[in-house]
Amino acid sequence: MGEIKISNVTKKFDDFVAVDNVSLTIENGALFSFLGPSGCGKTTILRMIAGFETPTEGRIFIENQDITDLPPYKRPVNTIFQNYSLFPHMTIFENIAFGLKLKKTPKHIITEKVNDILKIVQMEIHKNKYPNQISGGQKQRIAIARALINEPKVLLLDEPVAALDLKLRQHMIIELMNIHDLFGITFIYVTHDQSEAMSLSDKIAIINQGKIVQVGNPDDIYERPNSVFSAYFIGDTNLISGKVVGIEDDFIEVETNLLKNNEKIVLDSATNCDVEIGEDITLSLRPEKIAVSRRAPKSQSDFNILKGIIEDILYLGTHTQYIIKVGSQNFKVFSQHKRVYFDDTALDWEEEVFLFWHDTDTYVIKETCTDTKNINE
Amino acid sequence: MNNELRAQRKKEISSWILSLPALIWLLVFFLIPYFIILLYSFFESGIYDVEPILTLSAYKEVLTKPYISSFYLSIKLAFYTTVICLIAGYPVAYVIARASEKYKNLLIILIVIPFWTNFVIRIFSWRIFLAPDGLLNTMLIGLNFINDPIRLLRTDFAVLLVMVYVYLPYMILPLYSAIEKIDFSLLDAAMDLGANPIKAFLKITLPLSKQGILAGTILVFIPALGAYIIPQLVGNQNSLLIGQVITYKIKNIPRNWPVASALSFFLVLLIGVFLLVFYYLNKRVKQKGIIIDEE
Repeated sequence: MGEIKISNVTKKFDDFVAVDNVSLTIENGALFSFLGPSGCGKTTILRMIAGFETPTEGRIFIENQDITDLPPYKRPVNTIFQNYSLFPHMTIFENIAFGLKLKKTPKHIITEKVNDILKIVQMEIHKNKYPNQISGGQKQRIAIARALINEPKVLLLDEPVAALDLKLRQHMIIELMNIHDLFGITFIYVTHDQSEAMSLSDKIAIINQGKIVQVGNPDDIYERPNSVFSAYFIGDTNLISGKVVGIEDDFIEVETNLLKNNEKIVLDSATNCDVEIGEDITLSLRPEKIAVSRRAPKSQSDFNILKGIIEDILYLGTHTQYIIKVGSQNFKVFSQHKRVYFDDTALDWEEEVFLFWHDTDTYVIKETCTDTKNINE
Repeated sequence: MNNELRAQRKKEISSWILSLPALIWLLVFFLIPYFIILLYSFFESGIYDVEPILTLSAYKEVLTKPYISSFYLSIKLAFYTTVICLIAGYPVAYVIARASEKYKNLLIILIVIPFWTNFVIRIFSWRIFLAPDGLLNTMLIGLNFINDPIRLLRTDFAVLLVMVYVYLPYMILPLYSAIEKIDFSLLDAAMDLGANPIKAFLKITLPLSKQGILAGTILVFIPALGAYIIPQLVGNQNSLLIGQVITYKIKNIPRNWPVASALSFFLVLLIGVFLLVFYYLNKRVKQKGIIIDEE
């Protein structure tokens, strides 16, 4: 139940290609996110699943039934709209009952079902109010109730928490996850907010310029981005370009202009895909994986070490962000505020420091070598 | 609590002061003349003027069949005009409201342009168009649809046609402003929940444009009730509308100011009743929370 298959779907608006030959299978019961910058085509994909847009090419299936040409009112899906789109001239009760009334459900069953779902979203006492009399978070719960009461096979959510403030947003995300667990149907979530997508999804598809860049679990995508776009869109990263100069049994040596005196960056070969000697490659290094210290670490066997000068220090509460200049390149480093310091005193502007990280933490960005199994799964 | 009351009192007083010019205007140009009309309706008629003797004879005359049937004809005409304007105006208003920003203003200007030409001139142009040797008849004969000119001018049809033509913009503009405010994603939501386009229109668009429908109906129905110039210029002169009757009573000698005044009084009374009905309907619409930005 609720499996969605998108097969070679392209959507053009005049000459503009909004969605470019996208193929994807979303498992039944998944909490799947489309993540991408605004205008990347993620909402268009959602609207095609909902039936508000028709693909220019390609087909869409729900449980092997081709729904590509069905109008929205005949599809087994319901949508939570970004601004909730509650009907302002109907009470909360009437809003939720809307779908059932259209299906000519007997009145007493409607009353029963609406009351049940109002209990689930904890809005019973508001049922006779109008949408303009309740708050944003409450509106969202009503929108969810109004959609779920129709027992859709798939629930589509179009940036459902974007209009709420941060605290409420975090709260609603947890509520959404609970509702997902309770109903067990497929949720498809569209957002431009990477932390939202990371925190609630089983699986994320990163979309850019109408194409799927990467599909995978949140930690997969974060730890093993397959492209510069993925690496930058989810979290922050430092990119190092270099040339493969040595391949040993358990490590790879990379030459880069950041290091002098024939020193090399070392990668653990187990974490990476196949590279060839002489190949130009790009490495991604997450800012929180780098340690900063005035002194070089004692054990140097598994570490990569760079020397730099602190350009900027940004205190951010949970951590401090350092901008450190190494050669001609600026490195971003996040340092947690632990009570144990490498140094006795806090680091200062213009200080010379060592940057070091474990050889398993550098990751080769190469589209051909990321877990292709994630995309085809 | 006390402070709140005081602040509210203050607000009330200042709003009274601000509306004073309008109130004075209403008093001088509406209430006082209206009172004079009311007074005249209780006087005895003279040849040119009134005799200041109190009597109810004007009301006795007004409540006879010819006058009542004129009232009936006026209400009927106003009703048909309103209904046709509503049916014809709604799709137009809808299309304009959903048009892109670029075309919206252009379309609104096109609706308003006729107002730049004098009202009477526009009606006269309809006379030329509808005349036995006018454009329409000539065209129909030329296309061999008819052999002899048909009577178009001076018919009830002509009156209704020109009434609709004149009052249509008054229906379209409030409808447009109501429809334009509707969040069209609500229609997506309705369809998403299983409504086909017709159901979505009936359950969402129509109820949400009720305010525009009411406003347009008032703007068309009330002036149409007292229509004078249009029936006078293109209408069949055997059956007179109430506006025409009132004018004849004052224009033709012997004049009958008391009867004209009593008729005017009834007309205003009638309009008052309709306005009360509209006011009540409007209030109900508002209470149902259709006005989203209401406090």
